[in-house]
Amino acid sequence: MKKLFSICAVLFVAMYAVAQATMVHPKEDGKVHLKWATDPNPARVVQTSAFGTMFPDTAVAVDPNASGDSTKVIVQCATGTGADLMDVTADKMQSLVEAGILLDLTPYAKTLGFDPSHTYPSLQKALLVEGKQYAFPCNVAVDAIVFNKKIFDDHGVAYPKPDWTYDDFVRVSKELQDKPSKAGNKDIPFANNDGNGFVNNAIVGCGGQYFTADGLHSTLNSPEVIKAVQLYADMMYKDKVIPTPMDSANMSAQGGWGSGGLTIFSGGKAAMVETGRWYICQLPNFPEMQGHIGAVPLPRVGDRPSGGACGARGAGVNAKSLHWRESLKFLQYLASPQYSKIIVDDGDSLPPDPNLASSGKALVNDIVPDPEFHQAFVTAINNAKPIQYSPFIDAAITSRWYTEYVQKVENRILTPPQAMKMLAAQIDQQIRTNLERRPDLQKKYEQVTGKQYTPDWS
Amino acid sequence: MTNNFASRRRVSLTWRLALLSVLGLMISMPFVWMVASSFKQRAEVEQPQIVPHHATAHNYPIVLTLEKEPVQNKKLDLQFGRWYFNSVFMAFGTTLLQVLTSALAAYAFARLKWKGRDQVFMLYLATMMIPSVVLTIPNFQGMVSLHFINTYHGLIIPVAFSAFGTFLLRQFMMSVSPALDEAATIDGANHWQIFWDIVMPLARPGLIALTVMTFLGSYQSFFWPLIMLNDGQLFPMSVGMMSLDTSYGRQTELIMAATVMNIAPLIIVFSIFQKYLVSGLQLGGVKG
Repeated sequence: MKKLFSICAVLFVAMYAVAQATMVHPKEDGKVHLKWATDPNPARVVQTSAFGTMFPDTAVAVDPNASGDSTKVIVQCATGTGADLMDVTADKMQSLVEAGILLDLTPYAKTLGFDPSHTYPSLQKALLVEGKQYAFPCNVAVDAIVFNKKIFDDHGVAYPKPDWTYDDFVRVSKELQDKPSKAGNKDIPFANNDGNGFVNNAIVGCGGQYFTADGLHSTLNSPEVIKAVQLYADMMYKDKVIPTPMDSANMSAQGGWGSGGLTIFSGGKAAMVETGRWYICQLPNFPEMQGHIGAVPLPRVGDRPSGGACGARGAGVNAKSLHWRESLKFLQYLASPQYSKIIVDDGDSLPPDPNLASSGKALVNDIVPDPEFHQAFVTAINNAKPIQYSPFIDAAITSRWYTEYVQKVENRILTPPQAMKMLAAQIDQQIRTNLERRPDLQKKYEQVTGKQYTPDWS
Repeated sequence: MTNNFASRRRVSLTWRLALLSVLGLMISMPFVWMVASSFKQRAEVEQPQIVPHHATAHNYPIVLTLEKEPVQNKKLDLQFGRWYFNSVFMAFGTTLLQVLTSALAAYAFARLKWKGRDQVFMLYLATMMIPSVVLTIPNFQGMVSLHFINTYHGLIIPVAFSAFGTFLLRQFMMSVSPALDEAATIDGANHWQIFWDIVMPLARPGLIALTVMTFLGSYQSFFWPLIMLNDGQLFPMSVGMMSLDTSYGRQTELIMAATVMNIAPLIIVFSIFQKYLVSGLQLGGVKG
């Protein structure tokens, strides 16, 4: 037994020596080496190398952080060891700011050329928490309706046109259902890729928001929001042009269409999907789709202009980073035309610099050479608004509850008015509880309202 | 009467076999799907049919970076060999140290008499009741203070001690007759000799069971390596494979090819030691 343990111990030491001896250590090149916590997608190679060209005394390497999961970033930054730069989205920004993880960029942004005025007006509020800037966009997400021209041709249905309404959407979908496929294919009009996203877009399209301007009350029970959720529910259960969760499950079991809406669409089994320009990054995986896709802005609601929710995957700086000054250079780089050109070419959503997304023609790339396709996203970002969160309740909690109630509507457990009224009441109650418990929020309340906080404020 | 009994037994056996077959099929389906998907192309990877329409073996050389990824027309930025080695090395190191420290602790709790022994043992066991997620930040802070972030020892040393392992081996060691210790002591053996030459060989089923469980657990560990490591060279397979799931889309067929290769050591270890694993656990469960 002693011999066995001794052999294992020797083997362990030998493996350790091999592991250490074969490690490649970065060369002492006099550069400051930054770490950027982001998903390690192939485009990062080009993006990081272009940064090195722009700032030769600084280098950035990706700290792989899969699928936007922030656990690693939070644990590491909370103990002062996180990456210098990290991906930030609007719903997580407030928590990261409150935890002291993100650096306030406001004092440097204007001088260094990455203040909010360097990106789309519709997105500027999403970079701020309480008026202070904490991020700059890496890429900008806004949805449009992407459609498969082959399916429309096969059914003899005209392609959707910009400036269409949700009524047109239902009509086109029904035409696709009613007119048989000449090739005898079984397909569906619309692949429901992201119910939450669909409803968010409809909320903005209907003129709604999650919260009042002061953030003290939820407006998820407003007529605009209820109308948006009702629109979604009606398309599933009244008009039957959007697959219900049950339909989607059946499709997976029967027809081999996979589970995700994008998989269904990419497999040529759905005529339309609601998605961002980033979808075209995946197109090379589906060669049979290339040359056959088009896009139109989201449908309008009644007489309102077309509009949806916009967001961004931004980059923020770790407030405890030893290299926070050098990290600011990376944000300068993100605001540069050179970086935006990379985004235009690889198709990873819209570039942060609006000058490079001035028209569909400006966004044309090798993957989709059709300017009309890109124009849909230009129109979309010009009409979009970000979903506004409240400083009095964690945005992640709001998002989680919102998802739960949208799912209850999708599964017909609650009607849209019931669900949204219950959701708004739950959020308002949590805001009241937060205010009772947290003096910092009470101060914020006083700043926002100009009144002294009292427990019976609401 | 005999015929009737035999017939009933046959029917019962048939039912049991049918039930077990269905259960076996259900359990093996994810594995079958995993292997089948590793031979599929992207376009059909999420379709539920098991047999690929257009089977391809290219996913394996692509993951091993022997071939270019066809869509990007370049080799993927993966360090598969390194990650494989790291997984095996970390699991091996963790297992060796955990079995050793657990055996030493178990000996102290099972064979040595000292004041407060049982109370200390209870206290030690009580640590199993603390959810690991609660300890994440304090443990991580400890690693930061020790400068163990981004190192192999930061992954191995914190998991080199186990209350469960100590408990399991203590049960085995308590089943070894004290008369053997006494005889050895009379013959002039000290505790170190009794531990290595008498108790450890007799606790072999428990040691094997703990070895297998620790190896399997360490090899599959994900969260601790995820938060401890920033350097891709140190990643185990579980963390490295996440590189195939990016905002450019999930490369499921490549993930499945990597997973098939990743689980090979687990299957080998489990196949060799499964007999000891089950018997070891049963033995540890009833004696003490």
